[in-house]
Amino acid sequence: MDISTQLDLRNDTLDLRRQDLAQVYRPQREWIDGRGLLIVVAHFFSGIGAGAWLWSTLYDFDIGRWIAFGCVVGLSGIAHLAFLGRWNRFWRMLKRPHKSWISRGIWSIGLFSLLAVASEIPAIADSAAAKPLVFASVLAACAILAYEGFVYAASKAIPFWNTSLLPVLYVAYGLRGGAALLLIAAALGAGQFDVAAVEAVKLWAIVSTAVLILLYLVSGRRAGGAARESVSALVMGRVSAAFYGGTMIVGIALPIALTAFRETLAIPELVVLGAIGVTSLIGDFYVKYCVVKAGVYTPLVGATGVKRAQNA
Amino acid sequence: MPKHEAIDQASQNDNEDVWIQSACGMCYNQCGIRGHRVDGTLIKIEGNPDNPIGRGRLCARGLAGIQLLYDPHRIDYPLRRTNPEKGIGVDPKWERISWDDALDEITERLATIKENDPRGLYFSGTVICLAPLSHALATFLPAFGTPNSFVSDGHQCGNAEHILARTLHGSVTTNPDVEHCDYLLLFGCQAGLGTYYALTTMAQDVADARDRGMKLVVVDPFLSSAAEKADEWVPIKPGSDGALACAILNLLVNEYRIFDADYLLEHADGPYLLTEDGWYARDPGSNRPLVWDIDAGKPRPFDDPELGQVALEGAYQVEGQTCRTVFETLKGTVAKWTPEAASEVTTIPPDMIRKIARDFGEAACIERTIEIDGRELPHRPAAALYFKGAHGHDNAWPTSMAIELLNEVVGASNVPGGLLGTTPVCDGHPDTGFPRWKPGANEDGLLDAGMLLYNDPYGVVPGWPPPPTDTELPNLRDLIGWPITTCFTPAALTDKENFSFDHKPELLLNYGSNLLMSAARPEVTFEAFKDTFVVSFNLHSDETAEALSDIVLPDTSYMERLDPLPNFTRHHHPVGLGNWGHTIRQPLVEPLHERRHFTEVLLELGQRLGLTETMNLLTNNLYGLVAPHALDPERTYSWREISDQAYRSWFGDEHGLDWFETNGVMRWPKKVEEVFWKPFVHARAPLYNEWLKRAGEQVDEIVEKKGIKGVDTSGFFPLPDWRPCRAHRAREGYDMQAIYYRVPWHTFSMTYENPWLDEISRGEPYSYFICINTKTARAKNITDGDPIEVEGADGGTIRGRARLTEGVHPEVLAVANNGGHWAKGMPFARGKGVFFNQLLPMDLEHSDLVSLSMDCDARVRVTRMAEGA
Amino acid sequence: MRLGMVIDLKRCIGCYGCQIACKSENGTRPGTTYARVVKREWGEFPNVKKLSIPVLCMHCNDPPCVDVCPTGASQKRDEDGVVFIDREACVGCRACMMGCPYGARYFQDETRDYFEVGENAYEQAAYSAHERGVVEKCDFCRSRLAQGEEPACSANCMCKARIFGDLDDPDSEVRRLIDEHGGFQLNPELGTDPSVYYLPPER
Ligand SMILES: Nc1nc2c(c(=O)[nH]1)N[C@H]1C(S)=C(S)[C@@H](COP(=O)(O)OP(=O)(O)OC[C@H]3O[C@@H](n4cnc5c(=O)[nH]c(N)nc54)[C@H](O)[C@@H]3O)O[C@H]1N2
Ligand SMILES: Nc1nc2c(c(=O)[nH]1)N[C@H]1C(S)=C(S)[C@@H](COP(=O)(O)OP(=O)(O)OC[C@H]3O[C@@H](n4cnc5c(=O)[nH]c(N)nc54)[C@H](O)[C@@H]3O)O[C@H]1N2
Ligand code: SF4
Ligand code: SF4
Ligand code: SF4
Ligand code: SF4
Ligand code: SF4
Ligand SMILES: [Mo]
Repeated sequence: MDISTQLDLRNDTLDLRRQDLAQVYRPQREWIDGRGLLIVVAHFFSGIGAGAWLWSTLYDFDIGRWIAFGCVVGLSGIAHLAFLGRWNRFWRMLKRPHKSWISRGIWSIGLFSLLAVASEIPAIADSAAAKPLVFASVLAACAILAYEGFVYAASKAIPFWNTSLLPVLYVAYGLRGGAALLLIAAALGAGQFDVAAVEAVKLWAIVSTAVLILLYLVSGRRAGGAARESVSALVMGRVSAAFYGGTMIVGIALPIALTAFRETLAIPELVVLGAIGVTSLIGDFYVKYCVVKAGVYTPLVGATGVKRAQNA
Repeated sequence: MPKHEAIDQASQNDNEDVWIQSACGMCYNQCGIRGHRVDGTLIKIEGNPDNPIGRGRLCARGLAGIQLLYDPHRIDYPLRRTNPEKGIGVDPKWERISWDDALDEITERLATIKENDPRGLYFSGTVICLAPLSHALATFLPAFGTPNSFVSDGHQCGNAEHILARTLHGSVTTNPDVEHCDYLLLFGCQAGLGTYYALTTMAQDVADARDRGMKLVVVDPFLSSAAEKADEWVPIKPGSDGALACAILNLLVNEYRIFDADYLLEHADGPYLLTEDGWYARDPGSNRPLVWDIDAGKPRPFDDPELGQVALEGAYQVEGQTCRTVFETLKGTVAKWTPEAASEVTTIPPDMIRKIARDFGEAACIERTIEIDGRELPHRPAAALYFKGAHGHDNAWPTSMAIELLNEVVGASNVPGGLLGTTPVCDGHPDTGFPRWKPGANEDGLLDAGMLLYNDPYGVVPGWPPPPTDTELPNLRDLIGWPITTCFTPAALTDKENFSFDHKPELLLNYGSNLLMSAARPEVTFEAFKDTFVVSFNLHSDETAEALSDIVLPDTSYMERLDPLPNFTRHHHPVGLGNWGHTIRQPLVEPLHERRHFTEVLLELGQRLGLTETMNLLTNNLYGLVAPHALDPERTYSWREISDQAYRSWFGDEHGLDWFETNGVMRWPKKVEEVFWKPFVHARAPLYNEWLKRAGEQVDEIVEKKGIKGVDTSGFFPLPDWRPCRAHRAREGYDMQAIYYRVPWHTFSMTYENPWLDEISRGEPYSYFICINTKTARAKNITDGDPIEVEGADGGTIRGRARLTEGVHPEVLAVANNGGHWAKGMPFARGKGVFFNQLLPMDLEHSDLVSLSMDCDARVRVTRMAEGA
Repeated sequence: MRLGMVIDLKRCIGCYGCQIACKSENGTRPGTTYARVVKREWGEFPNVKKLSIPVLCMHCNDPPCVDVCPTGASQKRDEDGVVFIDREACVGCRACMMGCPYGARYFQDETRDYFEVGENAYEQAAYSAHERGVVEKCDFCRSRLAQGEEPACSANCMCKARIFGDLDDPDSEVRRLIDEHGGFQLNPELGTDPSVYYLPPER
C-alpha cells in the first residue's frame, strides 16, 4: 500500500477559522459564513424595504408601502432573529442606543414598525395625526437606511468598513434597491404608480452607486494595510467572482444596458422594467455581500508592533 | 479542598474534589503534575510547584494529557485480529476478547517458546514510558531468558550522544549549566527551547539565562523554535556539523590556542602518549598508560606519584617510537579542518566559523574561577550541546565526538557554566544515603560511570563499553554492545543475506512503540515481523498494531497507573543546582474500562510462567532493594507492595507508598560536589577512544569470520573527524536534503491524535506543511500551499503541502515530527501532517556502526503535484 | 487598580503552552482559544527573523468591543479594568467580534466537537460552564483572580514570558518591566489602550 496516498491533502480538512490565525490578514467570517450570511440578508431586506417605503410614500404607492413594510419587519426581522445566537434575548439589544448602532437600528426598526402600522390604522390614517405619523415613519425609514452602514463603520477592527463612505454607500444602495423593488412591483402589475419617475431615479441611482463603489474602492486602496487587502480580495481575490459577477455585471452593467437598449429590445416594456428591477436588486444584495465578505481585520501586529517587535 | 493537600483516593463519590500529585508521561521527561478530580472526572492537569522537575510549569503536551485519558479512540478492551491477512493499511478486523482469553493464549505461546528457545521472545518498547520499560527490560525479559529486546527509537535517538555522555560525563545524557553559562552553542538541538531533556525546567533556566545576557547560537538547517530565539542562527547543510565542530576545534587548539591546559592535563587523557599505531603507550610493568615527565625527561605512568611537570603537547621518543600526546594527536587530526575547508562542506561562511570559534573560546574564560557555597571552582561559562539534528546521521560518532571535544578542550565539562552530565553523582537522601552513585576511574585512569543501576548483560546501561562478541543477536547487542538502546533488530532481520540467526522471532511483545512509523520506512519493520505473533500493549490501535499485531492489550495511560519511581534512572532530571526530586506517578483516576497497567500484567505473566522468583531477585537488583525491604523470592507481590518496598528501601520506613501518595515528591538540595563534580573526582575524560579502536578490530575479525558484508568499521575512529553521510552523495536529479525537526507541542507521532495539540498545529503556519525555502520553491515553480511530492534517492515518496519560508536552508526540505497517520484506530490523527520516515531506509549502509545511529536525512527531489491529484 | 499582563517576546519560545493552559483552565470548545500564539517571519534567508507573539484579550482600557455591544453583555470592570462578557446577557450578535482588533472573541456556534462521537467525560464536565450561541473570550481568569491566583496562562508559562500584575502600581513587576525594557502595546494607533504590553525580543 502506498501510504502517502493516504495523506489528506485537501485544504478544507483544515478548519478555515484556525488557518486564518496563521495569516497576517484574517478575513472576518462571523458575519458572512454559515448562519452569518443572515445578517447580510437582514440588512439587504431592511435596506431595500426602507428605501421602498420612502419612494412609495413619496409617490403614494400603497402596495409599495405594504411590500416595504413586509421587507423591513417581516423578512429582515426574521433574518435578524435567525441570525442571533440567542434570538429569545433580542430585546436586550434595545438597551444601548446611546452607544451601539445595532441598538439604534433595532430601535428604528421597532419604531418604524409601530409607526407604519399606526399610520395604516384607518382611525388614525384619517385623523390629523396621520401626517406627522407618516412623516415620523419616513424618518424612521431614513434611520434604518442610515444605521446599517454605521453598524459596519463602527467596527474598529475592520478598516475597510471603518469609514464614513460606507454608510453613504449603504444609503445609496438602499434607495436604489427600494426603487428597484417598486419597479418589480410595477412590472408585476401593482398599478397606479408613476413608473417613469422612479425609473429616472433608478438610472441616476445606478450610475451614482457605480461611482460610489469606485470611490470606495479607491479610498480603501489608498488607506493601505487591511483595507487595501480587502480591496484586493474584491478586485482579484477570494471575493472577486461575486464582486464582478454580482455587483458589477448583474448589478450595474446589466441594468444600465437594459435601460440604454430598452428601445431597441423587442421585449414588452414592463418586462424590461422588471428585469432592470431584478438585476439591480441582485446587484444590491451582492454589493452588501461583497463588502461584508471582503472585510479583513487589522493585523494583530500592526505597523508599530512590527517595528517594535522587529526592532532588530 | 486546597490544592496541595491530601488525596482522597477511595472516594469516587459525588462530592469529591481532590488534587493528586503525579508525574507527566506525554514524553519521557516525567515532569511533576497534579490532577484535579471532581466527582470522579479528571478536569484539570497542571504543574506541581513542589516538584523540582518542571517547578509547576508544563509544556502544551503535558497540559493536554486529559484528552489522551478520555480519547474515545483509546483501546479499552483486549482485541484480537480476525483478518488473517497482515499488511500495512490492512484492516485487522479487531474483535473484542476477554483478558483471560488473551493472557491464556499469550501464556501458552510464551511457555512453548521458553521451552524451545527463550530467545524466540522479542521485545520492543517506547522511551516515553521509561519506568515500565526499564522494569520490563531488567526483570521480565532476563527472567524469561531473552536478550532480544530493542527500543524503537534508539537508532534515531541519542545513541551516539549517550555513549559520549557515559565516557565523558559519567552519565547517559547531558545538559548545559545555563545558570552560569554565557555562551550556549547548540548543534541540532532545542534544549530548553522546545524539546530535549528536562524541558520544562530547562525552559525556565534558559529563558533566565538569555534574559541575563547569555548568548545563544543555534546551528540548524531550519529556523526551529530554538533557532528562532538564537542571537545567531547558523543555517548549516544537514549532516555536516562534524566539519563545523572540527573547524572550531582546529581554530581553538591550533590557531587561537585557547584551551584549558590544566583541565586537559588533570582531568582528561590529554597528556597520554600514543604509539605510532595509535595505542596508548603503556608502562611494560604495570600496563599503565604513559605520560611524558618533562622534569625527568622520560615517560612515566600517568599515576606515578613522583611525576613532575607533565607534557600536554609534543612528540617524544619512547622505546624507539615517536609518541605524541593525545592532545598533540588531536591537534594534528583537526588541522586539516580550516574554516575554508569546513565552509565548503557546511555552506557556512568561513568568517562566521571564525567568529563562532573566537566567541566560544573567549566566552569560556579559561582560568576563571567562581565561588559557590564556599567552594572555589573553575568557571567555564561556555557550552556546546548537540542532539538529534547533529547526530542523526550515519556520521553520528565522529560528529558527536567533535562537538563534545569543544567542551573538553576549554575545560567546560562538569564544572559551572559548562556541559554537565545528567546526575552522574548522587550522595543520596540525607537520611538514608540512598540512592547513591559516583563515577570512578578504571585502571587506565579513565572515567567509569557509576550511576548505572545495574550491570548485567541485559541491562539497559552497561558501565563501560563492553567488548564485541560473536553475532547471534539481531539487535547486535553482542557485536556492538555499547549503544544504550539497541535498535537494529528490524534491519538485521530483513538483511537475510548477511545475517542468519539460529533462532527467529516467534513472539514480539511491543510495548507502546509505534515502530512501524517511528523506526524507518514501514516496510522494514513489517517485513521483519510479518511472520511473528505480535502482542501490542498500547493506548491506541496504531499503525504497528494494525499492520502486525495479533493481540492488542489496552494499557493504562500515565494518568491511570502507579509507577513508583518514574524517573528513577534520573537520565531526565534537571542538571545544575537546585533540588533532587523523586516523584510518584499514581492514578489520577482509576483505570477506565478494562485498561490494565503493563507492569502488572507482566507480573501476572511472570507468575503464570513461573518466573516470579527470578523476577523478584532481578527487581531487587534493579532498584537496589536491600534488607529488610528486598523482595523475598519465594513470595508473590502485588505492584503496590513492590512499590512500597522500593520507597521504604530508598527513603526509610516512614516514607512508604502512602507517604508518596499524599506528598507526591521527595526532594532535598543538591550539593555542589554532586553537580560540579569534576574537580572532586579523579577520573579522566577520554579524548582519545582507544577502546573503540580496539573494538573496531574485534568487530572486523568477527564479521570476517562470519562473512558479513557491509560492516564498515572505518568509522571506529578514536578521534573526531568528519565524513560525508549517505545523503551527501551526489545523485543525478536529486538536488535537496529532507530533514525533520520537532515542535514543542508534539511528541513524535503519538500526540497527533490529541485534539488540543492538533488545534495548535492547525493555527500554526509550518508544522503540518513541508517547509521549503522561498527562492528554491520559486525556481521549481512551487507556490505556497501547493501539494508537492518528495521523492527519495534511496526510495520512498512523501507528499504534503508546501510552505514557503525564508527560515530554511535553500537545499533543505523540513518536516515536523512524525505525522500523516493512517491507522483506523487513530482517526483524529489520520492524514494530519506529513509522514517523513517513508524516506528512510534502515540498513547497514545508512547507519553509523559505532552508535547504531541512522541517517535521518534523505537525498531527495521535489516536484509540484497537480491539485487534487 | 488596572490589571494587565506583560508578554516578554525575548523569553517566549512559542511553545503554545499558554494556549493549552488556558484551554484546560477554561474548558473551551473547539476553535476557541482565548490564549494563542501568532507566528511571523521577516527578512530574507539567511537574515531572517521568526517571532512568536502570544496573544489574548488585551483588556483594552478603551475597549471597542464594549462600545459596540448592543446589550451591555460586554463590560469593563471598574475596579480592575478586566473586560468580560456576561454570558446570560449576550444575544450572539457578534458586533463585538467586528469591533475587536485583536481577534480575542469567539462565537460559540452550534455543534462543533473535537471527536466525531461527541463529548467525552472531561468535555461534558468542562463545557457545562459554557453556553451556546454567545460570544466568549478571555476574562483574565476571573475565577482564579477571585481565589487570589494569577491567570492560568501566566502561572504555567514555562519560560515565564507572561507576567501578570497591576499596571497602576508603580512598584509592580509589570510596570518595572515595561519601563525598563520599553514595553509596547499592539496597534496603539487604534486608541484602544491595551492592558497587555509586550517587551521587545531583542534588547
Ligand atoms: N516537544 C518535544 N520534546 C521532546 C520530544 C518530542 O517529540 N517533542 N522527544 C524527546 C526525544 S525522544 C528526543 S530524542 C529529544 C530530541 O531533542 P532534539 O534533539 O532537540 O530534537 P529535534 O528537534 O528533533 O532536533 C533538533 C534540531 O535538529 C535540526 N536538524 C536536523 N538535521 C540537522 C543537521 O544535520 N544538523 C543540525 N545542526 N541540525 C539538524 C532540526 O531542524 C531540529 O530543529 O527530544 C525529547 N523531547
Ligand atoms: N519522522 C520522525 N521519526 C522519528 C522521530 C521524529 O521526530 N520524526 N523521532 C525519533 C525518536 S528520537 C524517537 S525516541 C522515536 C520514538 O518512537 P516511538 O516511541 O515509537 O514514538 P511514537 O511513534 O510516538 O509512538 C509511541 C507509541 O507509544 C504509545 N504510548 C504512549 N504512552 C503509552 C503508554 O503509557 N503505554 C503504552 N502501552 N503505550 C503508550 C502511543 O500510543 C504510540 O503508539 O521516534 C523516532 N522516529
Ligand atoms: S516535557 Fe514531557 S513530561 Fe514534561 S510536561 Fe511536557 S510532555 Fe510532560
Ligand atoms: S507558554 Fe509562554 S513561552 Fe510558551 S508560547 Fe505561551 S507565552 Fe510563549
Ligand atoms: S455578541 Fe454578545 S457580547 Fe458581543 S456585541 Fe453582541 S451581545 Fe454584546
Ligand atoms: S482585545 Fe478585543 S475583546 Fe479584548 S478588550 Fe480589547 S477590544 Fe475588547
Ligand atoms: S488570562 Fe486566563 S482566560 Fe485569559 S488567556 Fe490567560 S488563561 Fe486564558
Ligand atoms: Mo528520542
